[in-house]
Amino acid sequence: MRPELKEYNLDWLFAATFNVSRNLCNATPGELKAMFDYIPYVRPLLEPLLATGKPAMTFLDFFGDYYTDIVHARENNKKVVMTTFCFDPSVFHAIENLVPVTLEIGTALTSMLWKRGSSDFMDYCTEIGFSETGCSSQRGAMGAYLAGLGAKIDLVALNMGGVCDTNANAYSFAAQYLDIPYYGLDYPANLTSAEVQDYHHKDYRALIQFIQDNTGCRFDIDRLREVLEEKKKQDDLMNELEEMQRLVPNPVPGIYHVMIYAGRYIFSGKKKYTQMLREMVAIVRETAEQGRSGLKHGPERNRSFLAYIDNYSLGIAMIEWFEKKGISHVGSILSRTFAETAPYTTGVPGTSYRIDTTSLDTMIDSMADINARMPMTRTIRGPYDAPNMWLEDTISLARMYQADCCIYCGTPGCRNTWSNVKLLARDLESVGFPTHIVHADSFDTRVEAWETTQMRLEEFYKIRGLL
Amino acid sequence: MKKVFTEAATRLNIPAIQKWKEAGGKVVGYTCSFTPVELFYAAGILPVRLRGIDATSMEIADAYYGPFVCSFPKALLQLAGSGRYAFLDGVVISNGCDTMRRLDDCWRKMGQDMPGTAPPWFYYVDVPHKPDGHARDWYVNQIKKMMAAVEKQFHVTLTEEALGRAVRKQNNVRRLLWELEKLRQADDLKVTGAEAYAAIVAGTVMPRDDYAAHLADLIDDIRTRKADVAADRKRLFLSGSVCDDFDLISLIEESDAVVAGENVCFGVRTAEDYVEETGDPVAALAARYLSGSVCPRMLGWYRERASMHMQRIKHLKADGVILQNIRFCDLHGSENGLFERDLEKNGLPALRIEREYGPLVDRGRLKMRVDAFIEQLTSQKKSTLRGNHAT
Repeated sequence: MRPELKEYNLDWLFAATFNVSRNLCNATPGELKAMFDYIPYVRPLLEPLLATGKPAMTFLDFFGDYYTDIVHARENNKKVVMTTFCFDPSVFHAIENLVPVTLEIGTALTSMLWKRGSSDFMDYCTEIGFSETGCSSQRGAMGAYLAGLGAKIDLVALNMGGVCDTNANAYSFAAQYLDIPYYGLDYPANLTSAEVQDYHHKDYRALIQFIQDNTGCRFDIDRLREVLEEKKKQDDLMNELEEMQRLVPNPVPGIYHVMIYAGRYIFSGKKKYTQMLREMVAIVRETAEQGRSGLKHGPERNRSFLAYIDNYSLGIAMIEWFEKKGISHVGSILSRTFAETAPYTTGVPGTSYRIDTTSLDTMIDSMADINARMPMTRTIRGPYDAPNMWLEDTISLARMYQADCCIYCGTPGCRNTWSNVKLLARDLESVGFPTHIVHADSFDTRVEAWETTQMRLEEFYKIRGLL
Repeated sequence: MKKVFTEAATRLNIPAIQKWKEAGGKVVGYTCSFTPVELFYAAGILPVRLRGIDATSMEIADAYYGPFVCSFPKALLQLAGSGRYAFLDGVVISNGCDTMRRLDDCWRKMGQDMPGTAPPWFYYVDVPHKPDGHARDWYVNQIKKMMAAVEKQFHVTLTEEALGRAVRKQNNVRRLLWELEKLRQADDLKVTGAEAYAAIVAGTVMPRDDYAAHLADLIDDIRTRKADVAADRKRLFLSGSVCDDFDLISLIEESDAVVAGENVCFGVRTAEDYVEETGDPVAALAARYLSGSVCPRMLGWYRERASMHMQRIKHLKADGVILQNIRFCDLHGSENGLFERDLEKNGLPALRIEREYGPLVDRGRLKMRVDAFIEQLTSQKKSTLRGNHAT
């Protein structure tokens, strides 16, 4: 690991970056322009982010809060729980003395903001024994925490067993390496049967018991209700954005997807996240009323559905490239909540969740159901061609948002999707969606430089006549 | 070396299976050691552990699987696509890992593309990733569902009595395997790793009575032997990803070493590794198959596993441990990292290697590393390590 990296605490670095950035609302365009020259690697994310206006300031604000909480967790007598992006953090927010650290968020941030991404941290994981072929989305930030360059982690709680064993394995490794307690929710292949539902609920109750046993705290029922009620509002706002995204041209800017899901993974159920969504809805509504697309320049020339995740190289290079080409990003597997009120869950009963705040029991069941429908836990758990799984979700969402093509971006560490993405691509092609498989690593540009990825995307759009 | 075991361990459609089929018996393949084979024996069906041996290319598998996945399930798919598993009447696939559970998707798809390559019956079984409480209850139900599916598909009735008989027979095999393990624990080692391992792997493809008789013969034979096959050679323990082909063990034993024991997805691990013979047989099966959390797929149970393996390594008097994983097997790859650390802490030298499954394309590289490891062990004071075992 480069010595300079050992000089800083990762959480402090992020907290400092966001706490400075959130003051940029007072900056003049001239000041911003001058500042960008000093931050060449942060600029590719910050510039397009700031261009979104109010939502960007709220986004920077709550990211500042999130990392500041982590930095001060110990002095505030809070425990730190390491978790994954697919685990809805609402439950942690319902406990006074618990702060979640989401590894994939940290990895994505370093990929987007740092010259060499988190490659040093990834390699550190390999040095201490973790498999070099493990998913980069965890390996990045995980390396920092295992090296003692981030918050001291007290426990690990996540929900990936049975869906993405590679992901769960990374967290299991971290728990064993740090010698701290571990609990992983487990998911069978099926989503909708009563037997599975019952299993989810029991497993989630065991998780709660684990948290209580290992943090010495109990859930505050009123606080839990407040968090879930807030989450309902957030779902409604996301639904409104999703509904507007069906318009042609699509009034939702591509960068919103990243902001929405990144926010959801760390601030679900918190008021500032609701505020950002409200600000987004107001802007998109106005754009829609004017019949404009969410693209910054020019007309919408193509609508692309990301069948898996986005690419986080060099800021948001892929989304910026979409902008330049006139391509509307109509979402990815990460964008959807699968709340029962969402426009895309109509007609697929049992596959969505309902938030019921009637009692502690109903709230716990609701949280279990939410977790079972997070991006991966819902879509890529069972056979790819089973009802309501990856293929059917992709086709129905691509059709609903009138996508012209599908793009698969992921990481070579994703055993799950790399074991069936060829099948998915074939089937998507057969129903009329040209599909491109990106071989890059969304978090590690050493695997394939963004320039190469871009060249291959260019080739795909050109050869398939999509632009 | 017993020919029947070598044959069973190095070929797919062995005479015993052919004979079984000729007598009208059904054969079902399975992919994971968490599959309770007793229920197939109880149904009069021969369960056969699927192996990827003899897959010399991957052109069929590469059409379905992506490039960044383990070569073991790819080898299985390749063999299936080549018609080498045409003798199967069904296949049970489970969620051993992400890639293995996707074998279900890939094989089904291949069956559509190439008629005749898919068996008449596929069954997917959800094995929980934790061993107790609601997870065990869940597995009891899954076993019951699988039994119902077997009854329906093969027109058989699975009685409690038949299941009890199958449990007792399989326990008898486990006891014999543990006898073999105990022989490998002796100061004078009378059986090579290749010979013992052939016998262990053969147990996953041969009919029970036949296998038990041959295994008992082998054990008796070993007891009469005089020569110490480990004299002036290092005793090694092999651990990690599934390893059902002999190239790796042979390669190790071509150097100055004997594989004294292994933890590579086959065989028994402890003296207590039995299914309870009283009470509800299904509950007993669920309890046994989940117990010990023997595979890193049981996430969060590393300490228990490490402790169990450490005991075995000590009892087998291994001088060192080879920790191998198939490339892209993240579960074993990562756990090997932790285990290497803990073995070294306990004074047991460990070699960590990554390999491709199947024909040893990287034979030269592996041989060089194994040789170097043995040289490292030789240069250490033998008494230190043996002394550790004594304590």
